[in-house]
Amino acid sequence: MQLYDPTVAGPERNFSRAPALASLEGKTIGILQNGKLNAVNMLQETAQLFEQRHGCTIVPIFSKSNASAPAPGETIQAAATDVDFLITGLGD
Amino acid sequence: MATAAARIHEVEDDVLAAIDYCYEQGWTDGLPVVPPDVKRVDEMLMYEGRPAETVIATHPATGLECTVHAIAVNAVMAGCKPEFLPVVVAAFEAMNEAAFNFHGSTASTGGSAPLLVVSGPMIDDIGMNADVNLFGPGNRANATIGRAVRLVLLNVFQMVPGISDKSTQGHPGKFSFCIAERARGNPWPLLVEDQDYPPGVSSVTVFAGGGFCNVENHGGNTPEQVLGSIADAMANYGCITLGQSVVVLSPEHARVISATGWSKRQVQKYLFSHAARTVDGMKSVGKYRQGEYDKQHDDGGTSPLVEAGKMHRGLSPDDILVIMGGGDAGGHSCFIPSWSRGRGSIMQSKPIGVCIDCD
Repeated sequence: MQLYDPTVAGPERNFSRAPALASLEGKTIGILQNGKLNAVNMLQETAQLFEQRHGCTIVPIFSKSNASAPAPGETIQAAATDVDFLITGLGD
Repeated sequence: MATAAARIHEVEDDVLAAIDYCYEQGWTDGLPVVPPDVKRVDEMLMYEGRPAETVIATHPATGLECTVHAIAVNAVMAGCKPEFLPVVVAAFEAMNEAAFNFHGSTASTGGSAPLLVVSGPMIDDIGMNADVNLFGPGNRANATIGRAVRLVLLNVFQMVPGISDKSTQGHPGKFSFCIAERARGNPWPLLVEDQDYPPGVSSVTVFAGGGFCNVENHGGNTPEQVLGSIADAMANYGCITLGQSVVVLSPEHARVISATGWSKRQVQKYLFSHAARTVDGMKSVGKYRQGEYDKQHDDGGTSPLVEAGKMHRGLSPDDILVIMGGGDAGGHSCFIPSWSRGRGSIMQSKPIGVCIDCD
């Protein structure tokens, strides 16, 4: 008996980690908030720790309109251009 | 006809062994599946006019693509007859609309399942059940079309329980959640007519639905009494959000309501205006959110029926899908809440087996 496989092969993607920053001192930090209830509070407090301890600069928050959908490509592109590193989290 | 991407497994020529093989591969929803025999799948593909490799839906996070072929394979496994295929294909066309957000609604702890509501003449053509035991077992089309959707989510999109499907509790509709709108004795225009599809066309509407909530009311003899009990279910503290709703009125309840001349629109308006909780009440259970209240009450708000100091379910009467379904006897309607906390998924519909205004 011949059976079709009900699964599909995913697209080939080259996932790799971004190179680590040599230092956090004076870097620009971005925040991507997912719109959940406490996301902004939690992420801002986290970012402020980087500000206090490493002299980071916080740029205006990037937001997702839908917590459960991937961030739009233009949001990621803008963040990549504007910041040295980005923090995100659920905040639920 | 095999597509370039289709992979074939050679197995022992024994149906029971093939069923076990499917289990071993992790291809099932926990129940036995019909082995996706090549000939059976190829016969099913005859019911779709587009090439088998046509992509119907794409997973936004992983890039996994669902083709007509993949849907047919999983539909065979679910037990579908070939003529059911266009319904499953149309359901995924609807789920592929960004506003439906099938990734989020499937992956979330909220544990919703895509509810399929089929409306129009195809119901009789393929033998769907719109009558007694509407949500229950006993009808092949209802059961297997809904199951095929789940198998595609599992096998094609890899929405695997515990890994990429994080439902806290889920609900039984995650095995199969497919109903047909009852035309017989229906006092109002059918859903497919409300959706402005051309005469003769059938539609499938998909809704990321939470668990089924039965509304029993055998004593209500006026629209206000019957709809009051449904509105109360819609506004229960466990379910109330700004999300959409599906209300399936039993024929008995629909008769009570329509006998006084009420239109479906009046039903929607009544339910919207009465499915509400006070702000203090919402605060008492820790569910009040200023942002949600503002969204519903701000200037330019979506409905003049919104009452100050109250949180209504949804943003307007348009957020309540009202259909009739079920057996003649019994004062049992139902309300199905939207996924989790609101408006992360908006219901979508598509025509079945036809292309309207396509390129």
